[in-house]
Amino acid sequence: MNDSSWEPVIGLEIHVELNTKSKLFSSAPNRFGDEPNTNITVVCTGQPGALPSLNKEAVRKAVQFGLAVNAKINLISHFDRKSYFYPDSPRNFQITQYDEPIVIGGAVIVDVEGETKIFGIHHAHLEDDAGMLKHFNTFAGVDYNRAGAPLVEIVSLPCIHSAKDAVAYASAIRSIMLYLDASDCNMEEGSLRFDANISVRKKGEEILRPKIEIKNMNSFHFLEIALNEEIRRQISLYTENPNQIWEKLVPPGTYRFDPNSKTLVLMRRKESADDYRYFPEPDLVPIRLTQEYVDSIQSALPELPQDRYRRYITTLGLSEHAASVLINDKPLSDYFEAALRLYPNPRLLCNWIMVEFTGRLAEGGKTILSLGIPPANIAKLAQMIDENRITSRIAKSVADDMVKNPLLDPETIVKNNPDYQPVSDPSEIEPLVDQVISENSQTVADYRAGHEKAFAYLVGQVMKKTRGKASPQVVNELLRKKISIALS
Amino acid sequence: MTKKLHHLSALELNRAFIEGQIRAVDIAAYFLDRIQIHNPKLGAFLSILAERALIQAEAIDLKRSQNKPLGRLAGVPIAIKDNMHILNEITTCGSKFLKNYRAPFDATAVHLMEQEDALILGKTNLDEFAMGSSNENSAFFPAHNPWNVKCVPGGSSGGSAAAIGARLSLLATGSDTGGSIRQPAGLCGVVGFKPTYGRVSRFGLVAFGSSLDQIGPITTTVADAALAMEVIGRHCPQDSTSLTLPPESYLDTLNNTNLSEITFGVPWHFLENLAPESRTNFSNSLDVLKGLGAKIIDIDLDICKYAIAIYYILATAEASTNLARFDGIRYGERSSQAKILDDVYELSREEGFGAEVKKRVMLGTYVLSSGYQDAYYKKAQKVRTLVIRSFERAYDRCDAVLLPVSPSTAFPLHSIHDPIQMYMQDIFTIPANLAGLPAISVPSGFDNNGLPFGLQFIGPQMHDVPVMQYAHAYEMATLYTRKIAPAFEGT
Repeated sequence: MNDSSWEPVIGLEIHVELNTKSKLFSSAPNRFGDEPNTNITVVCTGQPGALPSLNKEAVRKAVQFGLAVNAKINLISHFDRKSYFYPDSPRNFQITQYDEPIVIGGAVIVDVEGETKIFGIHHAHLEDDAGMLKHFNTFAGVDYNRAGAPLVEIVSLPCIHSAKDAVAYASAIRSIMLYLDASDCNMEEGSLRFDANISVRKKGEEILRPKIEIKNMNSFHFLEIALNEEIRRQISLYTENPNQIWEKLVPPGTYRFDPNSKTLVLMRRKESADDYRYFPEPDLVPIRLTQEYVDSIQSALPELPQDRYRRYITTLGLSEHAASVLINDKPLSDYFEAALRLYPNPRLLCNWIMVEFTGRLAEGGKTILSLGIPPANIAKLAQMIDENRITSRIAKSVADDMVKNPLLDPETIVKNNPDYQPVSDPSEIEPLVDQVISENSQTVADYRAGHEKAFAYLVGQVMKKTRGKASPQVVNELLRKKISIALS
Repeated sequence: MTKKLHHLSALELNRAFIEGQIRAVDIAAYFLDRIQIHNPKLGAFLSILAERALIQAEAIDLKRSQNKPLGRLAGVPIAIKDNMHILNEITTCGSKFLKNYRAPFDATAVHLMEQEDALILGKTNLDEFAMGSSNENSAFFPAHNPWNVKCVPGGSSGGSAAAIGARLSLLATGSDTGGSIRQPAGLCGVVGFKPTYGRVSRFGLVAFGSSLDQIGPITTTVADAALAMEVIGRHCPQDSTSLTLPPESYLDTLNNTNLSEITFGVPWHFLENLAPESRTNFSNSLDVLKGLGAKIIDIDLDICKYAIAIYYILATAEASTNLARFDGIRYGERSSQAKILDDVYELSREEGFGAEVKKRVMLGTYVLSSGYQDAYYKKAQKVRTLVIRSFERAYDRCDAVLLPVSPSTAFPLHSIHDPIQMYMQDIFTIPANLAGLPAISVPSGFDNNGLPFGLQFIGPQMHDVPVMQYAHAYEMATLYTRKIAPAFEGT
């Protein structure tokens, strides 16, 4: 999007599948990946005479989310029937919350490339998911395993003005859900899905131009490509046809993103507004919450990603980049926290976890977590470095060995390898120091002339001769003593 | 046994069984015989579960012989309206759509009764999906009135009321959305009780209008209805609208009322257009109650003149979505003509549903449509609230409201063609559904053609027990419940 005189206006609807044990209105397991139509009860297949009964755990998770984004929790909310016919909908109406959702308002604060942005939430509501159609050669089938799975749908305000911001907002929602342990947010399994409403307008224009909807994207990458593609399309339509009626250029419609062609495919034009004939679900009583209940959830909220981000920067002294990478990868961040509890040197641990080990594993597609290296071993490694029990050079070799043998702890690795034992006996090191001084008389002179850097060079030369095994502390002491003596 | 079994009440038969005077298998065989003989002309049963009843009877006999504790309904023959599930049996709802639908679970009410050792004889006829007031909307065949088989038994629980009226069973379940228990009970000269909304679980009842539907018993006496309520009036976690109250004691307190301390309210203005013969019968009933010491006052329930209008908006709105699941995809009728998905929906519903059901689904869809919802559905909800308020005001001044059950006695089959006239059948029963109130229909005499009238007691919410006490007092003073339709008195 090169033309800076245009402003995209984007609203996101994010569907998050909650990780409750059972479904929203039945005792059927809420589990992905099983044989079709095994996780079902009479409620999930819409049998006549079956009645929904509300899963309290799903309500609790929705309230947790609301509190996490500082929203108002509606103490009385209710469910509505949303009518439409489709084979994956077992009753041909969805049970959702239409005019009294459980979560109202709220906002997400996100750092986008160093800039702090606030994205407003209109509301979030509970609803049940549909089943899944499966197409075979000569027929289609429906798998109702997902039917009735609990969803929270989070509807943003139309306050997002670029594809990048949309991704940042969606990532923040995902992080919050993960930190609350409210969803596994598994994108491949469809636990996190995005619908986007998008229009563009001239900067400064008050009114909104016609919008289109892109449905059911399940990757941040696709979300970004799809939005950018649509922004580009709309701007070029308006630019090329400045006098055409907007609604003719961008007629309202529903699209889906085709990941193969990376283009938007029209699903249907919205000739008139869809009529879902919403009305209150008579089979469910309203959800009534007490303020005490809400307060108790509030006081038990876990640390949220933005709080952790701030703590990493202000208390732990991590860089913004490191903090941001860590909080957006909750398992890695939790791993870091576990190591930190055992050995409180955050910057050293962060460096080893995020730079050293990540670098070693980058090619194999593994992570420090998938490899199964216990956080205690990373903590131990950092401690050994800090205590000068190994040099940082040896530490790197130890790390190589830890990658090869993920369960081996660094102390054992060092103990079993004579090459990793640091040389700290001055009598062994002294001859090498003497050798370096005599070989580098000019550098010694520089040091004596007040160039502190020259000293580091000399240390490096000694270390080189010991193949990194000498204790830097001993080398320092010997060297400093000798050059100073010569001076006097 | 000196008395014929079908002249006994459920309580009496249960006692006879417990005392060892008769075996359960003989009870089952006796009533199955009666069904064999009389059902062809009554059309009360859609299916007869003879084998199931006899197996259950043998099990109960064995229990008794082993001195094991016997259930509250031990040996009592019961009939289940065919819109309630019995596990592994067919539930048709009186519809072609479900003619082969085998229930995958027990309705809570059915389960509770079978747990108490009741003998389920079969499933009874009804208007398709409980939509109707005459049983003529059954997709299979109409049911007939035991007092005159040329007349309708009422509806929608017409099969259950006819079965009890003809003593083919001693207890039957009904479901009441706008009068479907009380109106047929009234027309068949038996007792029908609609409990407070939420008193009996709706789990396993195929829904018509979810916010109005309520299961209740149809019996020959008020005491039998009390017995049934003690069994089925229980909280059920599978129905969110089920009341979270402990079960009530009905039988022990049935005689506890002194009507001289009771005030009944009669909305005279609302009854302005009542036909003379019905008015006379109603006045006679008031005299009986006055004779028992009750005070009768005039109350204002004029708002109820809108009851039918708002009922046919709210009930059909709910029904249009409740019946959306009948789409030919998962179960029930699927048209063999269907080529594409839309055909499956349209043709299966076209072929599977009867005219009245289609009409109500269309009406319900219309009143919920955008642009019309405010004028119809939402306005009707507001009027419903006014009906509730109106009853609340009335109960400030009286203990229960008295109304006839229906405007007239049973009418001949195929005699009412105007749908509005048919809908008017429920003018006196619908208000209790709109306000969720407990209401009972008790026999109150006969017209010149020997067809039964019914009197209705409507109490405040949760006052199920007092309502039954008043009805019991009236029953004891009149003994109309002892009358059996002449054609069915003998074997």
